Amino acid sequence: MNSTFSDRPTRTACHPLAWPLAAITTALLLGACASPPTAPPQLAVAEAAVQRATTPGTSGDAPAELRVATDKLAAARTAVAAGDIDRARRLSEQAEVDARVAELHADSVRSRRAAQESQDAARALAEEIQRKTVR
Amino acid sequence: MNTRLPRLPATRSALPGAIATACLALLTACSSMPAQNAALDQARNRLAAAQARPETVAMAADELARARESLRRADQALINGDSVAQVDHLSYLALQQVVIAEDTAASRGAQAVVAGAAAERDRMRLALRTREADTAQAQKSAAEAVSATRTAQLAQSEAATQAERDRVARRDVTVSGLEAQLRDMNARYTDRGVIVTLGDLLFDTGASQLRVEGQPRMDQLAGFMKRYPERHASIEGYTDNVGKAADNQTLSDRRAHAVMAALIQLGVPGSQLSTQAFGEEHPTASNGTAAGRQMNRRVEVVFAREAGDLVSK
Repeated sequence: MNSTFSDRPTRTACHPLAWPLAAITTALLLGACASPPTAPPQLAVAEAAVQRATTPGTSGDAPAELRVATDKLAAARTAVAAGDIDRARRLSEQAEVDARVAELHADSVRSRRAAQESQDAARALAEEIQRKTVR
Repeated sequence: MNTRLPRLPATRSALPGAIATACLALLTACSSMPAQNAALDQARNRLAAAQARPETVAMAADELARARESLRRADQALINGDSVAQVDHLSYLALQQVVIAEDTAASRGAQAVVAGAAAERDRMRLALRTREADTAQAQKSAAEAVSATRTAQLAQSEAATQAERDRVARRDVTVSGLEAQLRDMNARYTDRGVIVTLGDLLFDTGASQLRVEGQPRMDQLAGFMKRYPERHASIEGYTDNVGKAADNQTLSDRRAHAVMAALIQLGVPGSQLSTQAFGEEHPTASNGTAAGRQMNRRVEVVFAREAGDLVSK
């Protein structure tokens, strides 16, 4: 953009530093524009939720679900950077609920496994008792 | 509603109003027409399915209520004509709330199974322990019964042993007494039994009358036999080879009888005694010398062997 300015055929007498100053000012202004717009409050909530869900247990028992949550959080950050606050808000809300889903899914996997194990143990015990009785 | 259009009155003045009414009706129809959103439908179906499962309703009632609230918001957004993105978003949240309810119900159900299985294991262990205790008790009782029987048997056996020991001790006393007295009488222990020899000196030559000098020896024998009435004695007469054998036979018989008569007279039961005459048979020494012939003239009192007697020395 500033190249357009520089290409302008202006030959009016000026201070020698006028051009560089203008360029710097323009760059600063543009930089201000490019700086991330205010992130929606939901993003912080989502970040906390995803962080809480990111445990070895969840990674082990609900990796796909956790991946959805982290991906969505990343997408929310990208949306914030792109200035699409609405999209960032939605993605944050989704990432939060996805993180919750990942946690609870891992819980249910673990619980089901524990149930299976305890049923197996009960069966083993019953068989042992059966053998002892027969003996 | 638009079925009313053909029946519109053809009056000119009413026509604009009718058209307006129709338009309004059409608009209303449009707005009341159920709007479609795939994500919302999916969430609604999933919620309906979750609510149809009694275990989910029982185990995750709060989570289902939250899911219903989320779905209501999504429905509202659709009705409000919010953007598709917003409706999709709220539908997604509702769907995930249903998933949360499902997983929560699954977790709680599994936990209940774990608790139930633990309780079942405890119950089984208790039953096993009870049975083991009962068995042990029964075994203990049985063992105690056996033990009691054994104790009784042992006592009985000990009593028997003691009785036997006493009997043996008494017999030992008897035997030792017997032995001492027999020793006094120069008894010999042979395979036939214990033999007490009454020498020639007790009789006069050729006579069967016992000499007075032999009386102490006869008293001793009689005393011994009365003390041991169970012991049978055979009184055997022998001679040397001087004279006729037939005479010696008779003499030995008479001497044996003389001894028996003397013993009976001293109170020994006749049933305990018997006699035998051998004459010049079975000499104990050579008849070639006077000393040998004297040794051959004798009466032997033979006590039959009994169990417990010393055999020979």
